[in-house]
Amino acid sequence: MSTTTGLGQSPYSVQVGVPAAVLKAKKVRRRLDLTLWEKLYVAEIVRGLVITSKHFFINMLGFIFPPAGKKRKVFTVYYPEEKLTLPSAYRGRPVLVAHADGSEKCVACGLCEKMCPAHAISIVAAEKAPGERYPARYTLDLGRCVYCGYCEEVCPKEAIVMSDEYQGLAQGDRNLLRFQKEQLLRPEGKVKTRLYFVRRIYSKWNY
Amino acid sequence: MSEISKDLHTEHMVINMGPSHPVTHGTVKFLATLEGETIIDLDVEIGYLHRGFEKMCENSTWQQVIPYTDRLNYVSPLINNTGYALAVEKLLGIDVPERCKYLRVIACELSRLSDHLTNVAAAGLELGAFTAFLYFVEARELVWDLIEALCGARVTVNYIRIGGLKNDLPERFEEKVKYTFKEVRRLWKDVDKLLTKNRIFIDRVRGVGAISAEEAIAYGFTGPCLRACGVPYDVRKAQPYLVYDRMDFEVPIGETGDNYDKYLVRMEEIQQSMRIVEQALAQMPDGPINVRMPQVRMEPKEKIYSRIDSLIYHFKTVIEGIKPPPGEVYLAVEGGNGELGFYLVSDGSGKPYKCRVRPPCFALTAAMPRLVKGRLLADIVPTFDMINMIGGECDR
Amino acid sequence: MLADLIESLAKIVFIFTVNVGVFAPILGWVERKQSAVMQDRIGANRADILGFTAIGLFHSLADAVKLLTKEDFVPANANKFFHTLAPFIALVPAISAFAIIPFGGRYELFGREINLVIADLDVGILYVFALAGLATYGTVLAGWSSRSNWSLLGGLRASAQMLSYEVAMGLSIIGIIIVYGSLRLTDIGAAQENFFRWGIFLQPVGFIIYMTCAIAENKRIPFDIPEAESELVAGYFTEYSGMKFVMFWMAEFLEMVTISAIVTTLFFGAWHIPFVTDAMLLSWFSGFAGPNGAAALAMAVNIAVFFAKVSFFIWLQMTIRWTLPRFRYDQVMRMCWKMLLPLSLINLSITGLVVLLL
Repeated sequence: MSTTTGLGQSPYSVQVGVPAAVLKAKKVRRRLDLTLWEKLYVAEIVRGLVITSKHFFINMLGFIFPPAGKKRKVFTVYYPEEKLTLPSAYRGRPVLVAHADGSEKCVACGLCEKMCPAHAISIVAAEKAPGERYPARYTLDLGRCVYCGYCEEVCPKEAIVMSDEYQGLAQGDRNLLRFQKEQLLRPEGKVKTRLYFVRRIYSKWNY
Repeated sequence: MSEISKDLHTEHMVINMGPSHPVTHGTVKFLATLEGETIIDLDVEIGYLHRGFEKMCENSTWQQVIPYTDRLNYVSPLINNTGYALAVEKLLGIDVPERCKYLRVIACELSRLSDHLTNVAAAGLELGAFTAFLYFVEARELVWDLIEALCGARVTVNYIRIGGLKNDLPERFEEKVKYTFKEVRRLWKDVDKLLTKNRIFIDRVRGVGAISAEEAIAYGFTGPCLRACGVPYDVRKAQPYLVYDRMDFEVPIGETGDNYDKYLVRMEEIQQSMRIVEQALAQMPDGPINVRMPQVRMEPKEKIYSRIDSLIYHFKTVIEGIKPPPGEVYLAVEGGNGELGFYLVSDGSGKPYKCRVRPPCFALTAAMPRLVKGRLLADIVPTFDMINMIGGECDR
Repeated sequence: MLADLIESLAKIVFIFTVNVGVFAPILGWVERKQSAVMQDRIGANRADILGFTAIGLFHSLADAVKLLTKEDFVPANANKFFHTLAPFIALVPAISAFAIIPFGGRYELFGREINLVIADLDVGILYVFALAGLATYGTVLAGWSSRSNWSLLGGLRASAQMLSYEVAMGLSIIGIIIVYGSLRLTDIGAAQENFFRWGIFLQPVGFIIYMTCAIAENKRIPFDIPEAESELVAGYFTEYSGMKFVMFWMAEFLEMVTISAIVTTLFFGAWHIPFVTDAMLLSWFSGFAGPNGAAALAMAVNIAVFFAKVSFFIWLQMTIRWTLPRFRYDQVMRMCWKMLLPLSLINLSITGLVVLLL
């Protein structure tokens, strides 16, 4: 197909300043002139037709006799009816984690608000009892959120995690995307796998 | 004859291609002056995707910039992440652990793979070969599945951190890579057969958009477009960063710098990227992925939950930002389109004083009029495709 | 007289139903589904009636409803009359070209001889070319009257391309006319009863040239430069919407059917089954169905065979359309004048020489 050349004669290899043995430049131009056979169009067209027809018939067969463990041969899924299994790393809508009694874990330290690169979070802190802070208002503007996962990363209380929810994120009105604390709270049991995952990826395992 | 043509009233046709035109998919506008079908003048207007990236960086902490860099070249976000993180690390004067370097190499090459797949696919689409487009988009989806398993998102990855990474490899990643690469190679072969020797495709791309090596260098070309001219300049070889000097890969180069060469260079780089990922996975050592510097990269979560000094460091780095020493630094990585450089200036505070990006496709887009002037209208299509102008990167 | 009228009407209704009622809407579906399956996708399947999707067939219906109710938009500076006229000029030849194509042979039914062609013209094939020439006007007018730069460029490209390819197309058919010694398509069809006398064996080069030119006439990929969407947005019909757009769209599909029918008639044995003559068919059926029943059965079989062949060529054209990239304007012209035209002339002279010598 092609040969590995040192390009010793080229002045540019000097400019690049890398020895030819390390550089391993490879010429990709396969040839300059087409053979008569290729010039006649027909041969290559037939070859292309064979490839696409092969895909066509294999996929048709896959529709009629689905391969084991799959609904069909082709790659696509019917979205609302079928859903892909998300990897555990998937970052969906950020949600607040609630204690068993329904109150939020969040202590309104403001780290997520500070870290958020899109300035999507705004917190109004208050005190339940002296020395016990809680977010009186916790607004997450999902119209601004970029799903980067920084809030989850910096949270010192495991109070906000990225859930695997990705539906219902489109609204006709921007104000409807401004989610309040009540809409964001999820019981701890529901986000357990994610909490476990977060603990693992930001744990000592990394160091 | 000349008498007749003197009387005939003719005028040039000025057409606006873009900003929303099927071929200007980086959001750019061409102001083309046509004489019949021949382009006698072409003006490129960029800036339709300008979001003020550089100014935005000046108002964010050093860590907050990383999600913004995802949106530079949105087809290869991991390379942008890496480039920025490496530049800040150079400013800080720190070195990341070995395993982290290998993981970054894997991430970068997966991104490069998706970038080249998208580019060749889009070129096929624009030239009418819709099937080749969808075969490569299928391959790209599979690569993005890998990226999703690794980073948690397909495009807006936010994976690389200053001084480390977000997380380590997920379980059974190597199996997934093996499966994906098998599929990608199969689809690569199909697309190769559909396009590379097809005379219709060759006629469309060969000899079109050719540029000599001297001129390409004068324009500031880098990446696949420069390599297509025969200059074996690759940042990964010329100034090896991370662990690229330990990887065995070839630098594909072309001869004439036309669109066919650019296409072939990209096709070959897809193969080389897969080779690099396989090598990196095989060589990767075990060990930490983050630097043990609480003022740069946060400590493990258990420590933050339990120890007051860790918690204070955590709060300080998040609220005030990492504080690199005052100074300036330029660091280039090999992006999908060429040399992606970050020029950072620090005044010692938690926010960049200046964050300038050297977008590879700006120089390429600037050469657009030179590449298509005097050619036919239809030649804009493959030339612009092979330049692979990405609005997010070019306009920032 | 009345019987003749009824016979003609029945044939017209049949062809019209098959073409406009079955082929045109179904081809829209086929094009979507076939390309999808070729490209490892599923394809359109969202339109449903009471939750029943019929593998996407209702999309044709949904398209029809959508396009019929869409605003009929005419650009401000457009020439309204020609802008409206153009799609009609494009569509009418596409529909009427089918009139001379025989979709079956001659049958003796209840004492009447039934010839399965709407108009058995002496000039046969010339009529097709005449109509193809008319269709060019539709495209050119659409491009010119829209007052859009894209449309104008598309119209210019279309006029050059369609006029050029008509020449090569005409010459490629003359070989067939020489071989079979008739312009009448029914005669050409009947002459291909013997499998080894099929046009593809006598005129293989003619077939390739005709197929190429026909796709070019129909402006489909790889020859879709008049509407090349990545260069000219949508070319000559950029400024069309709603019903008028549908007419261009339908004209394209109907022309595809016509091309397949002509290819079948000229090169692939028309309504004949390989190695089965009409007499054999009749004698098999008359064993159990009587003479009239046998004729009716033979007629049904021949029509089915004809449309099966037509369907195959439609499939082929669609596969070509979804496989290849498109040419550039100058390459299309170069291919016509420098490759296809000399080739068809050589083919013509060799055919003439061989026929003369034999």
